[in-house]
Amino acid sequence: MCIARLIKLCSLVFFLALALPAQAEDLPPLTHALTPISKPFAAPALKLPDLDGKLHDLADLKGKVVLINFWATWCPPCRREMPSLERLRQRLGDQGLAVVAVDVGEDADTVFSFTGQLEPAPAFPLLLDRDSKAMQAWKVKGLPTTFVVDPQGRVAYRAVGGREFDHDALVQQLRSLLPMK
Amino acid sequence: MHGRSLMLALLVPTLALADPSAQEHRTDQDTGASTWETRVHGATLRLTQILPDQARAFYINRGFSAEDVEPYATACVFMTVLRNDAAPGALGFRLADWQVRVKGALQSPPSVESWMDLWTQRGLPEPARIAFRWAQFPVEQEYELGEWNQGMLATGLPPGAAFDLVARWQVEDKTYEGVLTDVHCPAH
Repeated sequence: MCIARLIKLCSLVFFLALALPAQAEDLPPLTHALTPISKPFAAPALKLPDLDGKLHDLADLKGKVVLINFWATWCPPCRREMPSLERLRQRLGDQGLAVVAVDVGEDADTVFSFTGQLEPAPAFPLLLDRDSKAMQAWKVKGLPTTFVVDPQGRVAYRAVGGREFDHDALVQQLRSLLPMK
Repeated sequence: MHGRSLMLALLVPTLALADPSAQEHRTDQDTGASTWETRVHGATLRLTQILPDQARAFYINRGFSAEDVEPYATACVFMTVLRNDAAPGALGFRLADWQVRVKGALQSPPSVESWMDLWTQRGLPEPARIAFRWAQFPVEQEYELGEWNQGMLATGLPPGAAFDLVARWQVEDKTYEGVLTDVHCPAH
């Protein structure tokens, strides 16, 4: 086995210990649209600490469009879509969009060691759902799952599975909800 | 067999089965892991072998002991993907309706709940159990157009065993099957 292949194999084993096994060149494509909710419903409560222990409450964001992303560092599509969440925040953050990511079941060190490697690094709140109770309250059945809450506090869109959040088609869907279009 | 599974078993013969010619098989040159994939009834169904060492590394890194992870790591585990690419409506499924066919006989894979019961009996810490639960392929889900998940599925078959996966889902009250044939469990 040549040295280059050995190095590649060792790197892959290291990565697999951190994330669910999936061959990088063989991953399903990220989707470019959100799913509209036919009958928007009141968003469940969401009140969780961030990596520094500061509590964040969804109720404090009423009047904004809030994108809530449930994820974990070991989930391959979650890892792939995370940089696009920050690019989305950079595009629409000053127009009334707030982005919040809720990590399920992991500690602050684990989340920080992953997000610290990202480019661009997330500048939005990274909340910790250590016991997965929030995930269950939102009836999440698989990761990643994302919800979009409109300025009236209703869930207007969802996304099951990985997304390219800064894709133009998806940005256009979000713009239709924004208070400052 | 519970009522809904029985109903499915009765309905399935009336439905079109997956076209075996649509199935693809490829092997990753670096890991040696094989993938089987089919596109049928507007959905993509894919299984990729998770080698026992990969499963051991993943779960030991999340709080499992080497002893605890062994029954799962050697239970013929696959990374499973189901995606609604172009189904004529929302695609809903329950994992309990999926089966593996070995030498013509259908059987159900061990449920996620049965694994969770085992981890509770063994006293695994909550973070390890939460990581396990949510790393599995969803036990039920509904995919609108473009929606999908990937997650682990243990068939419970011995290393190296050959089988067919029979996946079932519903679209607008009609049951569809996606079948992957001659899939091989990873060897030790």
